[in-house]
Amino acid sequence: MTYKILEHTADVRMIVQADSLEKLFSEAVYGMMKIIEPKVDNKKEVIERKISLEAVDTTALLIDFLNEVLLATYIHKEVYNEVIFKSLSERSLEAKLSGFIAKSLGEDIKAVTYHEADVKNKKDGTWETMLIFDI
Amino acid sequence: MFNKSNLIKIEDFLWEIPKNFRNDMRVPARIYTHDEMLDSIAVDKSLEQLVNVATLPGIKGYALAMPDIHEGYGFPVGGVAAFDSEEGIISPGGIGYDINCGVRLLRSEKTFSEVKPHLHNLGRTIYHEVPSGVGVGGRLDLKGREFDMVLEKGAERMLELGYGEVQDLEHIESGGVLHTAAPELVSVHAKSRGRDQLGTMGAGNHFVEVDIVEVIFDNGEAEKLNIFKDQVTVLIHTGSRGLGHQIATDYIRIMMKVMPNYGIVLPDRELACAPFKSREGQEYFKAMSAGANFAWANRQLITWEVRKAWKDVLGKEGGKLSMVYDVAHNIAKIEEYTLDGKKYNLVIHRKGATRSFPGQPVLIPGSMGTNSYILVGQEKAMISSFGSSCHGAGRRMSRTRARKEVSVEELRQRLESMGIVVNAGSSKGLTEESPEAYKDVNEVVGVIHEAGIAKKVARLKPIAVIKG
Repeated sequence: MTYKILEHTADVRMIVQADSLEKLFSEAVYGMMKIIEPKVDNKKEVIERKISLEAVDTTALLIDFLNEVLLATYIHKEVYNEVIFKSLSERSLEAKLSGFIAKSLGEDIKAVTYHEADVKNKKDGTWETMLIFDI
Repeated sequence: MFNKSNLIKIEDFLWEIPKNFRNDMRVPARIYTHDEMLDSIAVDKSLEQLVNVATLPGIKGYALAMPDIHEGYGFPVGGVAAFDSEEGIISPGGIGYDINCGVRLLRSEKTFSEVKPHLHNLGRTIYHEVPSGVGVGGRLDLKGREFDMVLEKGAERMLELGYGEVQDLEHIESGGVLHTAAPELVSVHAKSRGRDQLGTMGAGNHFVEVDIVEVIFDNGEAEKLNIFKDQVTVLIHTGSRGLGHQIATDYIRIMMKVMPNYGIVLPDRELACAPFKSREGQEYFKAMSAGANFAWANRQLITWEVRKAWKDVLGKEGGKLSMVYDVAHNIAKIEEYTLDGKKYNLVIHRKGATRSFPGQPVLIPGSMGTNSYILVGQEKAMISSFGSSCHGAGRRMSRTRARKEVSVEELRQRLESMGIVVNAGSSKGLTEESPEAYKDVNEVVGVIHEAGIAKKVARLKPIAVIKG
C-alpha cells in the first residue's frame, strides 16, 4: 500500500492506497515529499510541527491537511518523514509532523487541488484517493 | 471522451459544443482551433473541464477555450469565462494558483551582432542577478506595512523604492496595479510564503529569455512599438510566487465551506466559487487583486535585475532596456461587454489567456528553444472572445514523459547547436520544459491571427535561456 505517480498533461497526478485512513493520510504526505525532492544534510536535529484541522468531509480534510503540510514545508524549508495522528475522524484531525531542515527543495508545488480527489473506503476495507498537485 | 462529432464548426477556426450536449450546461462551450489540432485537444480532459465551466451560475455567452487549451484542474488552462457581476460567481480556480502569472517584454537598442560576443556572459550574469529555483529568496525582505504597500500599489511601489522608470508603468496592463487590492484580506500564511520572493523567478515553466526579432509581419505596428528586425529583446515569464498560490488555496477552502449557503452545486469541487457580490466573493476579489499587484511588483524588480545585468555586461554602450509591454495571463477583471444589444459588467476570468484589447500588445511566449510572438489585439476580440487571446504554446506531454523523451545532455546540446545559451539551475526542470512537451506555438498563434482576435506583429527567436 503506497502512492504511485500517474500521467497528467501539465501537473502531477498521484493515486494513494492504504489499509487504514491514517496510513492514507500519511502516505499522501510521503508522496508529496517525494515530488518536492528535498535535500537534507543534517538529520541530527529533528523538527516537529503540529496541525489541527476541521473540514466539510474526509476528502476536503485530506486536501486541506496536505496544503497545511505544504505551507509548513515552504515557509520553514523543512521536510517531514513521519506523521503521527493524535486524532483522525471523518472531519477533523490533530497531527504531529516530524522531520528535518531541508538544504534545498527540488520542486515547487503550487497547491494540492480538490480536482479528482475522492477518499473512498473500498469493499475490501482499504482506502484510496486520487490527488492532483499543481506544479 | 470527446470526438469531433460532439463539436459543430461555426466559423473558420471556431468550434462549438452546443448547450444541449449536457443538460447542466447554461451556455455553449467554444474552442478556437483548427481541424488537426482539435484531435489532440480531445485526447485529455480539457473539453470535459470546459463543459463543466459552462454550468457555473451567471456565466454569459459561452465558456471559451483558446488553441493552447490543455487539461488543468477544475477549469482548463487556456480558458476564458465571463460571469455577470450582479448574478454570477467568482472562482479562484478560474484564475489559477499562480495569480497574475504573466509575461513582460523589454526591448534593447542593440542588434544581435552587437550583443553576440557578450552572450555567454549576459546569460550567466542574468542567472546570477535574478534569483531562481525552489525556496530561493530575493534581495528584498519586506515586513509589515512595507510589504502591504507592495500588495496595494504593485509595480508603482517598486518605482517608489527605486526599481524602475516612470515610463515602465505606461506599458503594463492596468498600469501594473489593481486598485481593488486589500492587503488585510491576504492571510499571514500567504504573506509568509511570499515575503522574501519579490524579484525571484521561481521554477517550473518560468524563465527569463534573451531573444532576437527574427521576422516582422507588420511594419507599421512594429514601428509603433519600436521593434525592428535583428533587435535584441528580453522576455520575463513569472507570477505572484508562493503568495499567489496561498491566496488561491486559502479562498478555495473558504468557498468550499460557504457554497452550500448559496445553493451552489458543482460537477467538480475545484470549481469552488461564491457569488461575486457575496462577502466571500468580494474578499477573494480584493485578495486576488493584491496577489496580482505582487506579481507586477515581482516582474518590475526582475526588470531592474535584468537591466543591472545588461549594464554590467554591456556597459554604457549597451544603451537602455525599455518596456514593450507586460500582460497578465491568470487574472479576473471587471470589463464591460455588449451581449444581445445589452451592456453588462462582466467578471472576466482568464486562466492561461491574455487580454487582447484593440491596439494592445499581446505577448505569447513559446516553449523553451522555440519562437515567441508579439501580436496586437483586434476589434474582433471584443465581439468574439471577451477581449482575450491565447497565452502560450500549451503543454501536450506530461512532465514525466518529457523527462523520458530526452536526456539533459541531449537537450543542452540541441539548444546549443541552435545557438541558444542555456543557464539552468535544475536539470530535471530543463528536460520537463523541453520543446517537444509543448504544442507548436507557430500553429497556436496562427489560429489566433487567422481567427482575427489578435494580429501577428513580430516573431522572436531565443538566443539565451535562463531558468530555475
